[in-house]
Amino acid sequence: MKITLNHLLTQRLPVADLGNEVRQRLGKPLRRASPLTQLAVSGALACLPDPAATQPLALLWQSTYGPRAETLALLDEVCCGAGEPLPFDFLASQPAIAAAQLKPWLPCLQTAHHLPLDDEAQTQWTLMLALAHAWLSEGRYAQVLCAHLDIADGQASGDWLLLRCHSEHPPLAELSLASAAPATQARDDRDFPAHLATLLAQPSGRDRRLRLQSPALPKLAVEFAR
Amino acid sequence: MRGKRPVFFHDSALLCARGLTPATAAAALWRGECSAKQRRVAPHCLPYQSLPLPESDWWSRAETALRQLAAQLSDLPPETPLFVASSSFQMGGFEATGAPFDLPAASASFAPRLADWLGLTGPRYSFSNACISGFSAIDAAATLIADGLLDEALVIGVELANNTTLAGFAAMELLSSTASRPLDRDRDGLVLGEGIAAIRLSAQPTNWRLAAVRTGLDAHSLTGPDPSGRPLAEVLAQTLSAAEMTPAEIDLIKLQAAGAPITDLAEARAIEQVFGAPRPPLMSIKPALGHTLGASGVVELVTLLACLEHDQIPATAGFRTPDPEFSTVFPVHRSTLPVRRALLNLVGFGGGLAAMVIER
Repeated sequence: MKITLNHLLTQRLPVADLGNEVRQRLGKPLRRASPLTQLAVSGALACLPDPAATQPLALLWQSTYGPRAETLALLDEVCCGAGEPLPFDFLASQPAIAAAQLKPWLPCLQTAHHLPLDDEAQTQWTLMLALAHAWLSEGRYAQVLCAHLDIADGQASGDWLLLRCHSEHPPLAELSLASAAPATQARDDRDFPAHLATLLAQPSGRDRRLRLQSPALPKLAVEFAR
Repeated sequence: MRGKRPVFFHDSALLCARGLTPATAAAALWRGECSAKQRRVAPHCLPYQSLPLPESDWWSRAETALRQLAAQLSDLPPETPLFVASSSFQMGGFEATGAPFDLPAASASFAPRLADWLGLTGPRYSFSNACISGFSAIDAAATLIADGLLDEALVIGVELANNTTLAGFAAMELLSSTASRPLDRDRDGLVLGEGIAAIRLSAQPTNWRLAAVRTGLDAHSLTGPDPSGRPLAEVLAQTLSAAEMTPAEIDLIKLQAAGAPITDLAEARAIEQVFGAPRPPLMSIKPALGHTLGASGVVELVTLLACLEHDQIPATAGFRTPDPEFSTVFPVHRSTLPVRRALLNLVGFGGGLAAMVIER
């Protein structure tokens, strides 16, 4: 079965603008949502703007910093305050709930997995893409969104890849487990989506394959081919 | 799944409120032990299932616990990939260090330290999906093994004492002030607990196989599932289908059942929808171990495997009176019936759902 990359999205915006971004997508504000959740909702809906889409969808998202500001606020309340935090502050510190706030706007979302990262210099795109490849190949889902979302220094950043096992639209590239064919090597870090975008923007005839390999687990490798 | 390699459970390890090995925990469950300590987080004093380890500095206690876990695992190659499941990671360590809080940049920065304590130098992957984190991690590791990208992996669930989680759940009014009473008419909330566990997944055959694991999402509310049980029933049905089994082929169901009023109701209705009647025996582990949140998937899987090793299904502590809303759904009294296939169910804070089928 052919697994394809159908959308690549980069979000870079001030955190202060997230509310407006979400309001534009939903037509109304998303109440009681942390910045990370607002970023997740706006990015996912930008990749999948049709709310009537019914193809089963999985979301795999990684984050380097996670809900850092919310966690600090919660620790302050619990350790330096009266002990019992405000319910919203506790909820905002729980990244897993972003999926539940996204699902009403994307009913096809069937599952979500959050992967917090343990090293600023590395990401888990290889793992997420290998899982997406496996789950799409076996028919567990029809589409998988892989994302890297972060809020840091007042800026929100989101990188999104939408993978599908069949598509009515021409794909951007094909995703496979790594082959022996010559390919440009990419590092599994936060710049990987930019390298992929560069591959996609190149004129035909230039580099056609981009390989991503886990440095610690060489068998874990995927590649995109134009 | 055709073309996929089967995935098996190799050795396992456990530290929980009922004991410091899988065998001692299983024996304590069989004896019906479920007493909890108290943990104070102002303005509450709440029942809490603590690890039976000496109170000491949080970091020293965490290191002791992880090194004891590692000691239970035989011949673990250092390069074994590590999959970590947790809700709170090192939150208790931040509390112990105190203000001003100095959080490391990367949110899962506890994982390298866990790997170090376990003696592992290979790749690390962390999963934090509230109470279904353990099955998320097992799902990912098993997917890679089934596809031939890994030959084995160690999945650990880690949930260590911290006031932030306890206070957060208390603020959401989700905790019982007395005890966990799964499926009971008088249930009034969760009792949280500490637990760490490890399960080694491998392509090499052993006694128990992972037949299927599936996850889902119930967006009814951030703190509880759809009371109708329909989203839960869908995940249970998907899991059975992935395992290529019918409900009648399941010999035992390990429920989420933590004593939460709405979650237990939704789970009971889902069981009614999928299994009808007669249905397999039901059990819950949470009254004895506490709800170990992000670790619960691995902790309860390892505990159940230890119970089944001796064909001992323990009674579910805390259950006395059936709930009239689902009066035919209640846990089994302790049983020694052999179990060949068991289903394990999880319902997560924030809408996560997960189920697993294991086969002897």
